[in-house]
Parts: sequence; C-alpha cells; structure tokens
Amino acid sequence: MTPLLELKNLRKDFGGLRAVDDVSLTVPEGAIVGLIGPNGSGKSTLINLIAGSTDPSAGQVRFAGQDISDLPSNEVFKMGIARGYQEPALYFKMTVLDNVLLPVKDQRGERPWFAPWRRFWQHEESAHAEAAVQALEQVQLLQHYDTLASDLSGGQMKLLEIARCLMGKPKLLLLDEPTAGVAPKLAYEIFQQIARLRDDFGITLLIVEHRLEILFDFADYVYVMHLGKLLAQGGVDEIAQDAIVREVYFGE
Amino acid sequence: MINIDIGATAISILTLFGIYSLMSISLNLEYGVAGLPNFGKALFISIGAYTAGITYTRLLPLLAGAEAIHPCGPTMGGALQLRSEIMASQPIAGFINFALTLVFAAVIADAVGFAVSYVTLRLKEEWFLALVLLVGGETVRILVRGADDFICSHNGISGVAQPFFFVADPRSRALLFMLLSLALALLAYLCSQRLYHSPFGRMLKGLRENEEVTRGLGKNISLARAQIMAVGSLMAAIGGVLFALNTGFVNTNDFVVNLTLDVWVMVVLGGIGNNRGALLGALLIAIMDRFAQIGAIVLNMGGSEIEFNYVRFIAFGLILLWMLRYRPSGLLPESRLTTDAHDVVRRVIGASK
Repeated sequence: MTPLLELKNLRKDFGGLRAVDDVSLTVPEGAIVGLIGPNGSGKSTLINLIAGSTDPSAGQVRFAGQDISDLPSNEVFKMGIARGYQEPALYFKMTVLDNVLLPVKDQRGERPWFAPWRRFWQHEESAHAEAAVQALEQVQLLQHYDTLASDLSGGQMKLLEIARCLMGKPKLLLLDEPTAGVAPKLAYEIFQQIARLRDDFGITLLIVEHRLEILFDFADYVYVMHLGKLLAQGGVDEIAQDAIVREVYFGE
Repeated sequence: MINIDIGATAISILTLFGIYSLMSISLNLEYGVAGLPNFGKALFISIGAYTAGITYTRLLPLLAGAEAIHPCGPTMGGALQLRSEIMASQPIAGFINFALTLVFAAVIADAVGFAVSYVTLRLKEEWFLALVLLVGGETVRILVRGADDFICSHNGISGVAQPFFFVADPRSRALLFMLLSLALALLAYLCSQRLYHSPFGRMLKGLRENEEVTRGLGKNISLARAQIMAVGSLMAAIGGVLFALNTGFVNTNDFVVNLTLDVWVMVVLGGIGNNRGALLGALLIAIMDRFAQIGAIVLNMGGSEIEFNYVRFIAFGLILLWMLRYRPSGLLPESRLTTDAHDVVRRVIGASK
C-alpha cells in the first residue's frame, strides 16, 4: 500500500544553511506520527515544505501517490493537507465563527459576481454554518462563536486552529507544536482532541512536539531530526530507549 | 460681504459628496477591506475623466449624426458650440453618450486595475503595488499631457457636459445632476455593503489580516486581489466620469497625487473598513472643500494676503495626522461580523437548549 505522505530525499537550503538535509520518511494513512528534535533541527521547515509554504531545493513530496513538491500552499490545502502554526496564526480581528468558515473550500459566495446576491449562496452558507457548529463543538468552542479570536486564551486559540483546519476536510493534518504555551492539563486535553480527529474522522496526523511525555502517549511512530537530518525513527518505546536520541534531546 | 446662495451651496456640496463617495467607497473596498494600499486612485479616477473628455468630443457628434470637430486649438470654439447644440436639442443622444461613457470608463479601468494588480501582487509585498500605482499614475498623467491631440495636452479639454444640459433652468439642472451623482453613490454603497457581508468579503478581510495563512487555507490570493482591484477601479472611474461632468472640463493637473491623498483622508477620517465611514468621510471632505473655496473668495475680496487653498492642504494634513495618532480606526469603526452565519449559529444553539 502506498503511504499517504512520502518524502523522498528532501533538501532545503537557505543560502549557505542546509535546514533540511536528505530527509526521507513516510506517514501511513490513519497514523499519528510524531516528529521531534531539538530547536533548529529543521522540523518546522519540513512542515513548511510539505504544506507548500516553501519549495524544496531537491527531493520530492508525494501525497496520495502524487508529486506535490512544487504546488503552492493553496493547492496543497485543496488536495487535503491542512496545517497549524507554531505561533497561533488566527484571524484575530474576526470572530471565532468567521475564522472557521473562511477555509471552507469552493464557496460560491467567494466569487465576486455571486457575492452581492445573497440568494446564490445563502443556502450553502447556512449549511457551512451548521458544519461549523459541529467543528466548534468538537473543540468545545461553540459558546464562543461570537467572540473575537484575539479574546481567546492560548489553549483555545490552539483548539480554534484545529477546528479551522477541520473545516477544510483534510486527509492529513500537520501540527507544529500544538501545545506550545499551554498549561500541562490542557496540553493533554488537546492531544485527546487530536486523537479523536483520527478516530472519528480518519484524519492522519504529523505532529511536531516538544512535550515528549504526552506525545509518546498518543503517537504510533516517531521520527527524530537533528541538524536537518533524520537521526532515528521507530515506535515510541524504541525511541524512548534510544541512547543517541537521549543524548541529543536530553543531553544525557 | 458676499451673499452665499444656501440652496446652490447645498446642491454643490451634495453633488461633490456623491462623487467623492464613489472614490472613497472604492478605496475602502481596496484598502479598508482587502488591505491593498492603492496610491494610484488619481490614475483610475483620471481614466474615467479622460474617457468622458474623449466621448463627449468625438462620440457625441457621431451619435447625433454630425461630424466631430477637433476640440483643440483654433477649432475649439466650434467644437464647444456643436456640443452645446447637440446636448440642448438631442437629450437622447446625450444620455446614450453618458451611458456609453460609463461603460467604456468601467471596462478600461477594470482592465487596468486587474492587469496592474495581477502582475504586481504576485510579489510578496503589497506595498509594491502602492509604489507602482503612485509612480504609474503620475507617469500616465505626464504622458497624457504630452499627447497633443488626445485631450489637448496641457490646455485640457473643454466640452464635457452633464446629461441634463438640455434643462433650461440652471437650478433644476444642478439638482438633477446632484440626484444622479447621489444615485450612483448609493448604488456603489449598496454593492460594497453586500460584498463586505459575503464570503468574498470574509476572504478579503482574511487576506488583509494574514496573507500567508489565507493562502495556506486554500485561497487564490492573487486572483482575489485582482478581483477587488477591478471592482474598486470601476467605481473610481465612474467617480472620475462624474468629476469631469461636474467640472465640465478635463485637465491633467486635476489628477495629481493630491487627489489620491484627498481620497485617503476621507477613508482614514471616516473609518477604515467601514463603508458608512467612507460615506461620512466623503461628506465631511465635500463640506470642507466647499467652505475652503468660499473662505478663499471671502479672504481674497477682503484684500487678504493669505492664499486659502494652501490652508486647505495644511488642514487635511493635520486631520490625517491627528486621526492616525488618536483614532486610527476612524470616526466609525469597522463591523465585527461578516455574513449572517452568526444568526444561523445563534438559532442552532437556541434550538438545542
């Protein structure tokens, strides 16, 4: 079976800096895959490469059997890859509801010639609003639908970002430190939500995370990056015991 | 003292308000909603004005079955007389010419707006568009001024007439033109309100706030920007047609950067992102404009040395600075909501309780 996501010898240079160096990895469908490594090891760059925010210097990104290496990020999203950001990148001056309605694909009312005539898109918009109710309920933000995103707490922002991704009906969700800046208890809840995305919607996840104790509770497989290269990979137990990983990560 | 005709002053202010509204609403859509700093407003307004200058001197005689007279130089008097005869005796030809002027101006401005933005906005920084348009507007103005036969170069072209020219009573004529300009402004306002409160408006707001994320959420942002530039340019060009019709004269000197800045003052004053704010800004500037002119005349007649027209520039500059410092969101702040999806959700929540 072809994996949902496959990176082949991926490389990214920024001037003289090789941020990602010859990385090959696979993410099978329905899995929760962790990506760990010290700061500056190239994890976020790897996420950017997959999401199409930046193009690789060499190598390939294959998604569901197709080469998507050079697609811009909007096309990548349409193919079914959504992403979260390390810093919450919400529309802070828009309401929670507007935040989740914006990413819905192929909205009729987004075309300027239909937009002024409500009857062309009102029906569709109501259906999207009802889908948004479900997505917001999923992350327990429904009662805040009318709130400006800037008024949410840090943890709620992370959850809203996940709900926003959900509205694009992704097959693969890339999350960059979904628990950064969140209290430990809420961090665990966020991971429970993430696990439900896989169980309820069949969404595959690739997660960059520093809180290994939580990640290891949920991940099926873990890749370790160091200085742009893949250092190790394996099941959770394997990685937790790996001497080199412990040395790089914990300085042991 | 001079006598101020209150009725005539009110009509001229409201006419100006309609014209300015078209300009400020268009900039509000581009900058206020979509975040595109259009510093080339004067270019798109001038496209409308030049189009009027050409249609009224070349197309109008054709529509009336007469032969066009070259409107520049020694034959200018004849051309003007021909225009007056046609406009007075054949109002239908005048109206058809007016309608065609609007269509041509809209199509040309649309094409220019779409083309300019589609090319420049593919670059990362939207401020590149601001510079291209700022420089482009001035370049086009100088080129046009140098093109002898186009609109009579630096002399400007006379002979633009408002469609109610055939009405004999000047007060009724002005009143009708005022209503026309207000009607077009109302149309632009309704259109932009509907755009704002639609998924298209929501996408544009998203674009303004975070371009990178909006692209990452599947939106073709170059296309969306070119589209809103096309809408904005269309409105600005129609404002330009009315501007020319109101003055009766098209001169390249009217379309310098000052005009662009005036429109910016309207939007910043009224409220960035709020269409009602754009209307309010246009009204306030129209009033100030007219009173600055009256003030200039009064001072001049009193033998004053002060050139009041410069006072106007200083006043506008101070308004801009004061607003940006103390009230950057303008007199009327932006609406929080986009579509009526919020009502749908409120109902769903209410039903489940």
